[in-house]
Amino acid sequence: MLYVQILINGILLGGLYACIAVGFSLVWGVLNVINILHGSFIVLGAYLAFFAYTGLGIHPYLFAPFAALVLFMLGYAVQLTVINRVIEAPVLVTLTTTFGLALLLDNLMLVVFAANFRKVSLKPPLGVIDLSDTFPSIDLIVPVDRLASMLFALVFVALLYWLLRHTVVGRAIVAVRMDRYAATLMGVDTTKVFAVTFALGAALAGAAGALLSPIFPISPLAGTTYLGKAFVICVLGGLGSVSGALVGGLVLGVLESFGALFFGPEHSLTLSFTVLILLLIFRPNGIMGKRGFV
Amino acid sequence: MNLGNVRRGVLAALMASAVVAGASAAELPIRIGAPLPLTGALSPEGVKLQQGYELWKDTVNAAGGIAVGSVKRLVEIVYYDYQSMTPKAVQLAEKLATDDKVDFMFGPFGSGASKAASTVAERYAIPMLAPTASSVEVYDQGYKNLFGTFTANDTLSEPMADIIKAKAPNVKRVAILARNDLYPLALGQEFEKSSKKRGLEVVYFEKYAINTLDHASALTEIKAAKPDWIIATGYINDLILIRKQMADLGIKAQAVTMINAPAYQEFIDATGTLAENVTTATWWHPAVRYESKDVFGSSVKYSEMFQKKFNALPDFTNATGSSVGVVLQMAIERAGSVDRDKVRETLVKGGFDTFFGPLTFNGVGQAISYVPPVIQIQGGKTVVIYPEVIKGGDLQLGVR
Repeated sequence: MLYVQILINGILLGGLYACIAVGFSLVWGVLNVINILHGSFIVLGAYLAFFAYTGLGIHPYLFAPFAALVLFMLGYAVQLTVINRVIEAPVLVTLTTTFGLALLLDNLMLVVFAANFRKVSLKPPLGVIDLSDTFPSIDLIVPVDRLASMLFALVFVALLYWLLRHTVVGRAIVAVRMDRYAATLMGVDTTKVFAVTFALGAALAGAAGALLSPIFPISPLAGTTYLGKAFVICVLGGLGSVSGALVGGLVLGVLESFGALFFGPEHSLTLSFTVLILLLIFRPNGIMGKRGFV
Repeated sequence: MNLGNVRRGVLAALMASAVVAGASAAELPIRIGAPLPLTGALSPEGVKLQQGYELWKDTVNAAGGIAVGSVKRLVEIVYYDYQSMTPKAVQLAEKLATDDKVDFMFGPFGSGASKAASTVAERYAIPMLAPTASSVEVYDQGYKNLFGTFTANDTLSEPMADIIKAKAPNVKRVAILARNDLYPLALGQEFEKSSKKRGLEVVYFEKYAINTLDHASALTEIKAAKPDWIIATGYINDLILIRKQMADLGIKAQAVTMINAPAYQEFIDATGTLAENVTTATWWHPAVRYESKDVFGSSVKYSEMFQKKFNALPDFTNATGSSVGVVLQMAIERAGSVDRDKVRETLVKGGFDTFFGPLTFNGVGQAISYVPPVIQIQGGKTVVIYPEVIKGGDLQLGVR
């Protein structure tokens, strides 16, 4: 029963991880931009949700689309005004640019929101589904807020998947992902596609932030932790695909959970990083890695 | 309290002291170096310490300064932000000693950074007052210039274990989850010792890594071990997350102790009803009642002055920030000189009656002279449950 509970914990955590990583993976895969801002975007989404809940009483799950919208606009503006200027430069230049922007945003949040740790405490709390209440022999428990956050995150991921498959913009993004020069020749406005892609990545970060706000403490500098996870997940799952982020997230969540059980909580990361290194050696494209988005 | 206000406050204080300094320009101010984690993971604590320093400095300067023999000298604090990175704290301590040539130093935040920076203070023979170093390991290098106002970690675990033993006789099994970091781990080990000493069975003891984002596996194991008393050590973000995940996994226990966080209002705000009945120990609390011979007069007056300046009740980190100031001031005034050797001698002698408590240091420089209060969150408020003389309530059992 302990193993089943750990597996449930791992899958729930993995779902949250996937939701952290999917926007990052999209931007990296399509634009070849390692967006260091991604973690800070998640934190900004979480703060927006926090103030929407404490100030206006809007539930974070209801607020998630609005957080996505705000971050979409911010992401579009950032891409159009800053990143598009250096998009053709080597990856190190865009990386440094987004790193600088992340420092800026982090410190701005530090000044505006102060360094205090906050968290959305839902009133009333969503509680847990305790299976032993109905089946006394099954001692398993599922926290409802984690489950709900994960399911809502999956809805956003499904929306992204649908958008990429069935809309003109989506097909253009996929086309650019496959071959940006061929796409230009076919009449795709790559500048606009870049901006929309980056904005979509930011929107997913914003939604993720809102969905995570009842779960993790919020502080201006939490972005780096999220970013680190997104990195690992992308390499684990394979870059630039929705399914890759999902699989990468779930694998990392389950690995960390069992790693903590078998090797002690202080070594849960050791196991996941060992697997990461092995994958880099033997399967550098990741578990689901292949060219072409979706 | 946000950073903007702090900055404005600091600026205003600097301007005010500049005006006062202009009036008595003959005497140079006494300069104290203070490396602080004003940004980065420890910035909440860094800002709290700075508030403590500033309140002391402004109060002293408003009274004309520190009496050095027959003249009064103003106080100037030279701040550097070490961005929550210990190696940087050491570099900045070095800079304060050699470049800024400060007269005295306050230690950085926490046991680890204090131990690292104390090496610099020792090399340049500058007395360093550490506001937040409680682990005995900090003081085991035989240094002569390090003085800490926090009593050792076992002064937190021992009274807590006593209370549990006395008030909750059904508590037999103990689980401990400690952050793998100098102070939280040392504290976890003290709790293990204190529990075993009283015949309690430690059924779980594990460490978690710094920056852990998920405690579900550890807590699932703890739940399976069926402890009556759960102890978690770490800093505020760790403990908010652990408390939340305990609820996620339906963990209930007769007693839950978390150090260091529940003494902060932020912890109560972030965890809501989950904070109820969580116990903690801390070195100071606004409920303590010490009469003092320092610039504040008493703990009650200290709280009033703090509240007037920052519009919030002081917590133990604010208070210990002010405590290093008052101890240094009293030592200088007793020595009648800012000569480091003479000030060090008076610090060694001890016997300082401060609003923070009576302060005397042991042979290695750690405070040994007061009893830190034990606190429980009851009805969303921090209530002192020990020692008897200042207690506002009794231990409540049951955390769900």
